[in-house]
Amino acid sequence: MKQSITLKDLTADLIVEQAHAEQEPGWLAERRHEAWTFFAQSGPPEWRRTDLSGLAPDALTLSGSVGTELIWDASLADQGIVFKPLRQALNSHEELIKAHMDTAVAPLDHKFSALRAALWTDGVLLYVPKNVAVDTPIHVRYTLPADHHMIMPRTLVILEANASATVIEEFVSADRSEQALAAPVTELITGPNSTLRFISVQQWGDGVYHIGGQKAVLGNNASLEWTSLALGAKVQHIEAETTLKGNGSRVNWLGATFANGSQVLVTAPWLRHIGHNAESFMQFKTVVNDTAYSVFDGMIKIEHESTATSTRLEEHALHLKPGARNDSIPGLKIDTNSVLKGGHASTSGDVDDEQLFYMQTRGLSKNEARRMIVMGFFSPALDTIPVEALRHQLEAVIEAKI
Amino acid sequence: MSNDLVIKDLCANIGDNEILKGVNLTIRGGTIHAIMGPNGSGKSTLAHVIAGHPDYEVTAGEIWYGGQNILELEADERSKLGLFLAFQYPVAVPGVTVANFLRAAINAHRAEEGKDPKATAIPMAEFRKMLREGMKTLEMDEGFARRYLNEGFSGGEKKRLEILQMTMLKPGMVVMDETDSGLDIDALRIVAEGVNRLAGPELGALVITHYQRLLNYIKPNFVSVMMDGRIVRDGGPELALELEEKGYDWLREELAGAA
Ligand SMILES: Nc1ncnc2c1ncn2[C@@H]1O[C@H](COP(=O)(O)OP(=O)(O)O)[C@@H](O)[C@H]1O
Ligand SMILES: [Mg+2]
Repeated sequence: MKQSITLKDLTADLIVEQAHAEQEPGWLAERRHEAWTFFAQSGPPEWRRTDLSGLAPDALTLSGSVGTELIWDASLADQGIVFKPLRQALNSHEELIKAHMDTAVAPLDHKFSALRAALWTDGVLLYVPKNVAVDTPIHVRYTLPADHHMIMPRTLVILEANASATVIEEFVSADRSEQALAAPVTELITGPNSTLRFISVQQWGDGVYHIGGQKAVLGNNASLEWTSLALGAKVQHIEAETTLKGNGSRVNWLGATFANGSQVLVTAPWLRHIGHNAESFMQFKTVVNDTAYSVFDGMIKIEHESTATSTRLEEHALHLKPGARNDSIPGLKIDTNSVLKGGHASTSGDVDDEQLFYMQTRGLSKNEARRMIVMGFFSPALDTIPVEALRHQLEAVIEAKI
Repeated sequence: MSNDLVIKDLCANIGDNEILKGVNLTIRGGTIHAIMGPNGSGKSTLAHVIAGHPDYEVTAGEIWYGGQNILELEADERSKLGLFLAFQYPVAVPGVTVANFLRAAINAHRAEEGKDPKATAIPMAEFRKMLREGMKTLEMDEGFARRYLNEGFSGGEKKRLEILQMTMLKPGMVVMDETDSGLDIDALRIVAEGVNRLAGPELGALVITHYQRLLNYIKPNFVSVMMDGRIVRDGGPELALELEEKGYDWLREELAGAA
């Protein structure tokens, strides 16, 4: 899209015109057109807990391809790994993108999913060929250029059979004094016996609205370790899902959300079991401080085709101030009578006084003890971050929020 | 003496219940002083009040240590004065490793007002060496340092960790609350040896126990008996043996007779 256009001035014709000017393939221009039509016709989504009253998207300017950083060891390309901006990848890998894009996150689900599909410009493709295993992290970092801007970045990760990779997706910006919108889409498609470690880090500055869709679809015996960190933004609404489509697929999903000030951070992570003998574990941890509000709207859906599913869900919340709120709404929907194991645990409350006392008797001040307890609460998620500098930076962000 | 722990007429409540009803007790610096008493007599309450647990309300009395009445001090300030409580039930803190916790505790003790904490912090190599040596003498596995504090620990592991913390923080006065409970004979020996290594003129110890068994390993200089929130008898090591042999009932009867 052109750098300067605001949402209210956009039309379907302009969008298609722009797609042609960028020499995008015809199918993509059609998808954009269809999505825009859906967007224009649909009303705002009915999200009871996500306060979008401060968001006036009409006045937002669409940012072009600015601020997408690809951080990796480029010599990995020698093994056939493709990691490049998504639009650029359309030239070399059009069929691959066409076949996979929009297969995980449905574009015509609601107004914002349609907006994302119509207007995306930034993004990356990561393609790991069959039997290729990479240890070093592959990192994409998206930034928001200025107030009153919006970006719709897309991450498309495709792992072929027996491939393995570690991927970091990071959203970061300066604080914004006026509204700004990020509406990213993340699609993770993993082939048979593949292993993906995926770390998603939302650390936008103040003022940013984040309305994201993330979905992983697992192949037979594929394994996913997913860490979701949500620290920044003014309002976050993330719909995320792992679909355990393949037989014997596994996911280990750790979430860490810290809302302070007047942040509203909503996460709706779903586990969907389709394959046989699949195993899922989800543990979401939330800390709320000041007058912030967070929501865990999780769901485990066990479809009728699946058999011998094992699943466990844990949500834990810590409240640091009486004015801080967290809603935990775990759901379970079972459409089969063949479940092997199911489990659920949930805790919520203040920092434990006995823990504080124990630590204080060793000389730690109450504040220092609280800090360690909160950091410890998040450590299972933080420990999965393979880049030390990033982990330390995030620890500092978390400490500043306590 | 300022390294004595002096408890005067101490009364303390939890909620509306008066638990300590005028405790008078002096633990002299450099001595080992055992407190015995039946379950529910207020021994753990006394230990918690000495350490500064905020849930107990002190309604009367004083506790002196290090030249001051410590009742107004927070638990961490008491720790920095050199008091140490080995818990009867050590608390689990998930996500906080033993090593990180110990380092933070040592650094809290080394911190000085007006100085950059980085300047007073223990050098990493020195800390590691100290930790390794401490764990070795307590026959603890090296992997222990990376485990989360007391989480999933066996009874013996918890008590060893209490002694390890004591070893590394070098307190002047320790209160050990039933450190022997839940220990098999091997663990008891290791824990007692750990304490005996530290014992000497620099360390006073208030050793709370329900059984005489621990006192075969940690030899007390003095023994006091607590019943119903008061110290009812003071004596030497022979008092512990007498209690072991005869139980508490004779003492209870004797006291009732005297009243
Ligand atoms: N948190 C508490 N709330 C109410 N009563 C308590 C609490 N802790 C201890 N008590 C009571 O105080 C008395 C003394 O307990 P405690 O100090 O634990 O004794 P001991 O350690 O000698 O067995 C007991 O009657 C016990 O029930
Ligand atoms: Mg007790």
